Amino acid sequence: MNTTAEVPIIATRNITKRFAGVVALDDVSLDIKEGELHAIVGENGAGKSTLMKILSGVLTEFDGDFLLRGQSVRLSGTRAAERAGVSIIHQELNLVEQLSAAANIFLGRELRTRFGLLDNAAMKRAVTELLGQLECHISPDTQAGTLRVGDQQLVEIAKALSLRATILIMDEPTSALTKGEVERLFRVIERLRQRGVTILYISHKMDEIFRLADRITVLRDGRHVETVHRSDTTPRRVTHAMVGREIEEAQHHDSRIPGDVLLEVRNLSLAWPGHARKWRLENISLTLQRGEILGIAGLMGAGRTELLECLFGAATEPIRGEILLRGRPMAFRHPAEARAAGVAMVTEDRKRLGLFSQLKVRENMTICTLEDAARFGIVRHAIEAKSASECATRLSLRSAGIEAPIMSLSGGNQQKAIIGRWLLTRPDVLLLDDPTRGIDVGAKAELYRLMHQLCRQGIGIIVTSSELPELLTVSDRILVLCEGRQTGEFARHEATEQLIMEAAIQRN
Amino acid sequence: MEDSNIVRRLLMTYRNELGLILAIVVVLLFTAAVNDAYRTRTEYNAKEILRQTSLLGVFALGSAVVIIAGGIDLSSGAVIAFSGATCALVMQVLAPATERGGPDTSDLALPILAAGIAAALAVGILVGTLHAWLITAISLPPFVATLASLVGLRSLARVLNPVVTGWLGDQKMKVNIDDPDFIWLGSDWRVPLVIFLMTGLAIWVLLGYTVVGRHWYAMGGNEQAARLSGIRTDRLKWLAYVLSAVTASMAGVLYTAEVSAADPQTQGMGYELKAIAAAVVGGCSLQGGVGAISGVMLGVLFLRVVIDSVAKVVGSGSDDYEGMIVGFLVVLAVAFNALRAHGTARRQFFPDALGWVTIPILAALLGVVVAATSGRTAGITAVVVALAVLFSCKIWEDRRFP
Repeated sequence: MNTTAEVPIIATRNITKRFAGVVALDDVSLDIKEGELHAIVGENGAGKSTLMKILSGVLTEFDGDFLLRGQSVRLSGTRAAERAGVSIIHQELNLVEQLSAAANIFLGRELRTRFGLLDNAAMKRAVTELLGQLECHISPDTQAGTLRVGDQQLVEIAKALSLRATILIMDEPTSALTKGEVERLFRVIERLRQRGVTILYISHKMDEIFRLADRITVLRDGRHVETVHRSDTTPRRVTHAMVGREIEEAQHHDSRIPGDVLLEVRNLSLAWPGHARKWRLENISLTLQRGEILGIAGLMGAGRTELLECLFGAATEPIRGEILLRGRPMAFRHPAEARAAGVAMVTEDRKRLGLFSQLKVRENMTICTLEDAARFGIVRHAIEAKSASECATRLSLRSAGIEAPIMSLSGGNQQKAIIGRWLLTRPDVLLLDDPTRGIDVGAKAELYRLMHQLCRQGIGIIVTSSELPELLTVSDRILVLCEGRQTGEFARHEATEQLIMEAAIQRN
Repeated sequence: MEDSNIVRRLLMTYRNELGLILAIVVVLLFTAAVNDAYRTRTEYNAKEILRQTSLLGVFALGSAVVIIAGGIDLSSGAVIAFSGATCALVMQVLAPATERGGPDTSDLALPILAAGIAAALAVGILVGTLHAWLITAISLPPFVATLASLVGLRSLARVLNPVVTGWLGDQKMKVNIDDPDFIWLGSDWRVPLVIFLMTGLAIWVLLGYTVVGRHWYAMGGNEQAARLSGIRTDRLKWLAYVLSAVTASMAGVLYTAEVSAADPQTQGMGYELKAIAAAVVGGCSLQGGVGAISGVMLGVLFLRVVIDSVAKVVGSGSDDYEGMIVGFLVVLAVAFNALRAHGTARRQFFPDALGWVTIPILAALLGVVVAATSGRTAGITAVVVALAVLFSCKIWEDRRFP
């Protein structure tokens, strides 16, 4: 197949990987050329993450061959991969939040003085230099946890560079970045390519892929569908190859007619003790009608998640202001009260705040509504299983059945299971915190359709997203937050990316 | 096809339990083979093993619930001592006076016995509630909250015993209750066994078939997600810690009855770790969210059977070996689970310098144990053999993982 004489820097031969009966990768063979930017695309569950974990030494047991510069290798772990020049920037970043940027970059390979003590000065110099090359103007002493996501990512890239990585795997690197940060990242990527670094770039975003990639590999259901040159294909054809079907544009909301006012928030404020800004949220007012989707836009740290948490009784501090649900004032002190009142919230960080990884799909779905299936506290299994499987069917959840472990599902299907968990509570108000983060095109379209369907049934939805095009697609109205303040509200027909961005970075 | 699938699923679901049953049978057969006590006094030994298992099992069940719910309860041993003392003191206070003035506990009326036991159980509820308050309202880590009880409650009982007995006559550290009905509770093998089985059944239903049980598993696995799912985690914690302390109080009553005295200086000393060990051997994860009551019950039995086996084989002074056995079994059980979870295929057991240092430590440990049981020559032989085997293992590994 490879007609050129050059040896591919990475080659996989018939790699197959199974997890508890589920085939994650099925006979995948592909070549990565030295110095190219190779995009790997595919829906959730297509096997992208599994493949990258094998290439970066996270998964060490699989069938088939993995060739690095023509040599068959068996990496014994991530350390071995790093020694071989392979570094991975995970979607969920892997920094020790309590340590400084410099300490993170040199973690495990700290520079030492003649006396065996840490040579902080030398490390700082090296890190300043590295970060400078990456246009990252932070102090090497800054605690990693306090950095913006975009800067944290550059710290990870700096770490890879200091490891002299020749192969860099980036797993959806732009999913949590602002527009400016994305541009900066692209400039950094360009510079890395000039140095001859081979980059494997995983993404769902066609515009990025077609801007950056030399070649594109499409995976579907664990199989290698095709590898094509960018110039030989179009976004539409790639999308088609990913899902195996055409995706219609999600433009449903013209048929939606908002009903009565469901939720009204007046002058909501949330204190931020010990912080210079004093308020996480300041004087937020909003209304939500039945059958309406209200989008919340804002950069990282604007207070999107905090706003939803306030409405869900999960705020860390007592809130000020008024929340009226169906005209009656509400002051939830616990998510249990919000749930009972018909408010549901799908959290942003699925793994940390949503999933029960030891439990089954069924148990994950019915956790909020178990009382309904119980008599005198004893759970009636048949009733529980029925509601879980009905909900799974309704959401077209793809799994090996509701008794399968939740972790055997792909990210998109895990998200569906969590949404299902909340739909079972028959909510009036559904709060979705960045529900499509790390979800592929197909699953996104399905989610948009579901949101539309729920609205038609009279549910009001508040959704946040780090992707503006998405908010513009799904929302009837968009509220913009900037540093805890409300800096704009737009109806769908008047909203543009430009206007929202201006409001989101407005400072005074 | 269908049948073999069901069989396989059952095997997978209960592999922990099956492994434990197998291990118990092997240990029993081994002991019966090398020592004639099991053959000549079968009935006595069986009853004794069941009685001892049940005494430990009662509060191991409570400890396991807390572990599954994502916490830890280090206070069981101290609660045993404190509730035992409370039980005995209440009985003494209510007991009729002898001619010489002190309390006469040789024949107590049923209400007095009931009052003593009720007081002990009430202590359990109060201690559990205190733990829950410290953990939820004050945000203490469970380890710290229950550690405070571990050292504090025993000391409190030691202060209380002389004071209360002083009001009644002579100051005493050890509070005797001589009532035969009370003593029967701890010495007849059937009473602890029935209590153990009933408690086990109740907790098995609670964990496997109720809303509360499911929520415990969920909270143990991911507390944040549980709270954000609208689960009242504070209430669940209260119930778990109360249950644990109440089962420990039940054990406290039984242990007091067993020796017809409450003695906070020694009673229940270190038992909290035995309970935790039994839970871990039975398949509970200290990370929380994982475990089953059937495994815990078998874990307790296994622990007891091994301790008894060593007692039979070694003979006198076997109590001294108990700690070693418990420690060894916990490491073995957890290592077994860890290896099963992470795979053994590409694992180096003696990596780098740590490997070189560990080998002599393991050999020395083995040598000391063998020397203590079978004499000096055997000990030295054991060290030499162990060193030879482990070092060749290490060299082979280094070749395999260059």
